Amino acid sequence: MQADTRKMNVIDQFAHRFSLQGLLFGITLTFFLVSILFPFYWMVSSSFKTRAEIGGREPTYIPSALRLEAYQELLDPENPSYQEFGVNVLNTVKVAVPTAAIAVILAIFGSYAIARLRFKGKNLMINAILVVYLFPGILLIIPLFSMLARIGDQIGFDVQDNLGVLVFTYLAQTLPVALYMLTNYFRTIPDEIEQAAMIDGCSRLQVIWRITLPLAVPALVSVAMYTLMIAWNEFLYAFVFLNSRELFTMPITINTIWNDPSPRPHVVMAASTIMTVPIMVLFLSLEKYLAEGLSAGGVKG
Amino acid sequence: MAALSEKPAAVSSRRRRWRSKDAREARMAWMMISPTAIIVFGLVLFPAFFSIWISFRNVTLANLNDVFHAPFVGWDNYRAVFNDFAFKWQGLDNWGAAVTSIVYTFTSTVLTLLVGLAAALVLNKPFRGRGITRAIFLFPYVAPIVSVVFVWRWLLDPRPSGVLNDILMRLSLIDLPLAYLAKRGLALILVIIFEAWRYFPFAMLMLLARLQAVDTTLYEAAKVDGANMWQQFWNVTLPELRYVMGAIFLLRLMWTFNKFDDIFLLTGGGFGTNVLPVLTYQFSFKQFNFGRGAATAMILLAILVLFMTFYVGVVMRNIDED
Repeated sequence: MQADTRKMNVIDQFAHRFSLQGLLFGITLTFFLVSILFPFYWMVSSSFKTRAEIGGREPTYIPSALRLEAYQELLDPENPSYQEFGVNVLNTVKVAVPTAAIAVILAIFGSYAIARLRFKGKNLMINAILVVYLFPGILLIIPLFSMLARIGDQIGFDVQDNLGVLVFTYLAQTLPVALYMLTNYFRTIPDEIEQAAMIDGCSRLQVIWRITLPLAVPALVSVAMYTLMIAWNEFLYAFVFLNSRELFTMPITINTIWNDPSPRPHVVMAASTIMTVPIMVLFLSLEKYLAEGLSAGGVKG
Repeated sequence: MAALSEKPAAVSSRRRRWRSKDAREARMAWMMISPTAIIVFGLVLFPAFFSIWISFRNVTLANLNDVFHAPFVGWDNYRAVFNDFAFKWQGLDNWGAAVTSIVYTFTSTVLTLLVGLAAALVLNKPFRGRGITRAIFLFPYVAPIVSVVFVWRWLLDPRPSGVLNDILMRLSLIDLPLAYLAKRGLALILVIIFEAWRYFPFAMLMLLARLQAVDTTLYEAAKVDGANMWQQFWNVTLPELRYVMGAIFLLRLMWTFNKFDDIFLLTGGGFGTNVLPVLTYQFSFKQFNFGRGAATAMILLAILVLFMTFYVGVVMRNIDED
């Protein structure tokens, strides 16, 4: 274990690779990379295949050309089996972006209160919120459904096919995580800076706005990213709460296309690519902020 | 006289001011946390208790909107679940959802932990391109579940054009294409492998963070004592990772036990892979028997709570005493 050595030079690395230990290391690394990357390669490459290449006797490992047949079926209104996938993309954005924005704003205040202010019932509150980790989504969906149906009858909104209701249920799922992550981060910011600002006459809200938030940008980015990801990927609640195709989010549409009587895996792969690429690009560009948050229990599931 | 009486008055007024400052702070704290608290309590904790209530009632599609007047049926829902063929153990070739859930959760959690450990050990070594490799290792965890599930299902396609069938047939390991996800036993094993593939990055990140905090002098001391690689791993690395491995085990176990999407999308709960969350879904949204669904969910929660109490009370305490 040469955990303390710095990057080895080329010759060392060469010699290293040919030791038994190095060989084992190389094999493990290759195994991991292949088994991780192959499914992603398969997804993207299959999205460019034609119907003939999909339905052949043998799998086509490399598509003959970058054909957009599958994408046209999803997005081109001229196509005979047009899927209106653009609407589904928009629905997902309509659900995911507000969820992330609201979760971040609410979590900023909530976590600041927990990290900095003293009040009765604080520990009870924290524990109650963390217990939420324990409840399976499937347990909550039945009571939530009937509860919201009842409230909806009174106030006048529909539970089903209502993206706003979906945002609310996603908030319930993401807020505990957001609160937990931000509280931990706020606690690492030294209290003295804020005390000094208060002595200089800043109010609490000014302190939060001018001092705490600028220092917490990495944590805010990762919380926003996580809540966005959870809402973007969520399947169960959208599956139960949405009935009409024009309100489906992407995961539900992809499931529907896959279960279509005439199998069109290339279209499923194209839709999956459209859904996966933005998330992966966002993830890779923000990776340095995110890895820490991930291990802090960032993503539930 | 005036000077004498001024001091206590100043103290008490200052005390009052402090007290009121505390009170102001507490009021402010409540204002700041209440939106979150209302959403979390209203949409999670209240429904959770409400679902206990539902599990003792006969709730169907007809009275879902009027659930508060649903007829009370006592333990009938629980009795029905325990006697259901999808739930109960019926011998080795048909485990039922309860046993399948437990076996599936334990094996996939252990496998996830082991794969995560291997990945963390690989990434703990300095090599060129480590940063990008680490990012790639996180892909399965970050990608949307729906897209990775369907890629897997298509790689495991039962037709000869399925990739795994093609490879195994070319290697002459099988003569005829297999329907991997439609075979009892094999389907469960594949679902477990899928879980390990998707969730090992979580274990890896936590283990990696701990590995990088291990005091390197421990390894130097071990080397001086003549410990080989394996002994160093067994006697230095593993003890250092014990706590974090316990934490990962608990978290993953909990989340896997509650997980619905993965099995529902991979096999729909068929072919010996039916687990309690999927069974809950089937009772509620296939048979529209919401009371029975809620009872299933409560049984699921009860098993989980029992296990957690046992784990925290017995296992963690033993670790502490070591």
